[in-house]
Amino acid sequence: MAWIMKNSATAPVARRAEPYLDEATKALLEADVIPRYPTRRASTLPVLHAVQDRHGWLPTQAIEEIADFLGLKASEVLDTASFYEMYWLQPKGKYLIMVCESISCELMGHEKLMEKLHHKLGVEVGETTKDGKFTLMHAECLGACDTAPCALINETLHEHLTPDNIDALLDKLP
Amino acid sequence: MALAEPVLCKRIPTAPWGDPTDRKLVTYEQFVATGGYEGLKKARALEPKAVIEVIKASELRGRGGAGFPAGVKWGFLPPEDGKRRYLTVNADESEPGTFKDHMLLDYDPHLLLEGIAICMHACRLDTAYIYIRGEYHLQAQKLINAVKEAYANGIFGPTSLLGQINGRDPACVVHRGAGAYICGEETGLLESLEGKRGWPRIKPPFPAVAGAFGRPTIINNVETLAICGPIMDKGAEWFKTMGKGRAAGVPATVPASFGPKLFGISGHVNRPGVYEENLGIKISELVNTYGGGIRGGKKLKAIVPGGISMGVLSADQYDTELDFDIGRKAACLGLGTAGVIIMDEDTDMVPVARNIARFFAHESCGQCTPCREGTGWMYKMLTRIEAGDGTTRDLDLLLELSGSMGAMPGTTICGLADGANWAIRTILNKFWGDFEKRVRKERYVSLQVASAAK
Ligand SMILES: Cc1cc2nc3c(=O)[nH]c(=O)nc-3n(C[C@H](O)[C@H](O)[C@H](O)COP(=O)(O)O)c2cc1C
Ligand code: SF4
Repeated sequence: MAWIMKNSATAPVARRAEPYLDEATKALLEADVIPRYPTRRASTLPVLHAVQDRHGWLPTQAIEEIADFLGLKASEVLDTASFYEMYWLQPKGKYLIMVCESISCELMGHEKLMEKLHHKLGVEVGETTKDGKFTLMHAECLGACDTAPCALINETLHEHLTPDNIDALLDKLP
Repeated sequence: MALAEPVLCKRIPTAPWGDPTDRKLVTYEQFVATGGYEGLKKARALEPKAVIEVIKASELRGRGGAGFPAGVKWGFLPPEDGKRRYLTVNADESEPGTFKDHMLLDYDPHLLLEGIAICMHACRLDTAYIYIRGEYHLQAQKLINAVKEAYANGIFGPTSLLGQINGRDPACVVHRGAGAYICGEETGLLESLEGKRGWPRIKPPFPAVAGAFGRPTIINNVETLAICGPIMDKGAEWFKTMGKGRAAGVPATVPASFGPKLFGISGHVNRPGVYEENLGIKISELVNTYGGGIRGGKKLKAIVPGGISMGVLSADQYDTELDFDIGRKAACLGLGTAGVIIMDEDTDMVPVARNIARFFAHESCGQCTPCREGTGWMYKMLTRIEAGDGTTRDLDLLLELSGSMGAMPGTTICGLADGANWAIRTILNKFWGDFEKRVRKERYVSLQVASAAK
């Protein structure tokens, strides 16, 4: 639920010397992304994607750097980032498993899939395995109802899933 | 009468004309070799206003959910003032049961790009943003590649056959969303495009007057634009030979249901998938001819006619025709996205309602109290009823809640609340028995019954 807010005003901010948005990336974005839009703010989503793709998630320091880069306030960037499901404001595992739980997938047996994953990974939805390899999440309709049940593992859509084939699939991931 | 030949699926093998396992990405060269971009060339030879007239004459209606006539929408734009104007393409497809745009983007992205260029020419729009949902990673990549091909071949960019528009080279940009159903709502999409949270705007002003970045903007669905190429190529009259004609006695001012349409079938059928057919095909015919009938020879229990926001039909409505008039004929919200979901006799409607309520509670953007609170409480109540802890009183309350949310115009900003209302209310009304079985009987007279008895 996008509208449930967390208190971020008093939360400690972890910092590191090395920037998340380095000069090379900035130059790339400046040349490639910024000119596509009439305002700098419109580049917020693509820039958040770019930084997250590189670092796996969006630490507060990265949000501040993005705000500086776009000429915005950190709160404005955080406001946007916290609204969308795909932006991670806390670390996630190497593989993000997003199992579709919308109606067609539920009709076609998404529950058995979830049971298998809970059992195999030993985590609840929203949690990451201890070794940091897998994060288990739910997704709303992934737009592949004809091949239900389906799941997105990082950027790849896996279709016609069963407890057995998802088991084999996860075992094969390095 | 069945569709004589595929239009949107011309290059995408689809039953009965081809085998879906043969589907491959259509490249620029293949697209052109099979008559692609001919519609654009013909449109380019016409005055912009004349192109809008052709789309108006075809009576093409939006394929994204609301069914608004595309030509009329294009005609709403104010006169040019030399400054920027935008096209935003709605590829946010997230309505449960809908996966048609997914197929078009997967295999024939140039069909969309052709429609985009036609719309830019007709409406004098200098930049097109294709807002594609974040979860469509592969499709976004394919689209980016196709856009590159289009730039290289003089569709967009400095060598564009459109010439300069508003003093600029026509541009086409792929913009990825980040996982929010509400960004499919047209003004939520605009806010998101501007880099903000996807909160729908209060209308008016309508996007045609003040849309993206405060400038005149056209928003159309992927499928709506994809059909524009074939219409410009073969003409409005050709388009109107397909679909469901206007019934006798209906005045020409009432929009009809012409043309072919992509239908998605999912749920308990033998061959789920996307199929192309005339608007006006019966649900039963679609399921039996294309979907291969209901799985395991079971009987039908419930049908979602066009994405869950449209509500649910019962088995006795199996022969309802899928066209833009379905809302009036079958007491549902409308045709929606034409994503049909079939549920067989073994389906329990309590978890179905719970699932749908969860979807809306999860995706409500939270701006309007009736929607935010209503969807949240519906989900909580349905979870309780499913767990066996509900009472008859909960059912009454649920019915009242689902029936009032978004029902009064002006109490919610966008149509999400209305969709949640139709979905939950129609399930309750049509499958009351499933719910009654789950709840404890409590001696309780609802307020409405009590006041009516006085
Ligand atoms: C909550 C909500 C979600 C929507 N999601 C989509 C969507 O994912 N894709 C889409 O094309 N239209 C969606 N729409 C409809 C759009 O607001 C808009 O009517 C449509 O994109 C217009 O294009 P068309 O006229 O070509 O159909 C949605 C509407 C609402 C109220
Ligand atoms: S109706 Fe719901 S989704 Fe739409 S703007 Fe209001 S709160 Fe947001």
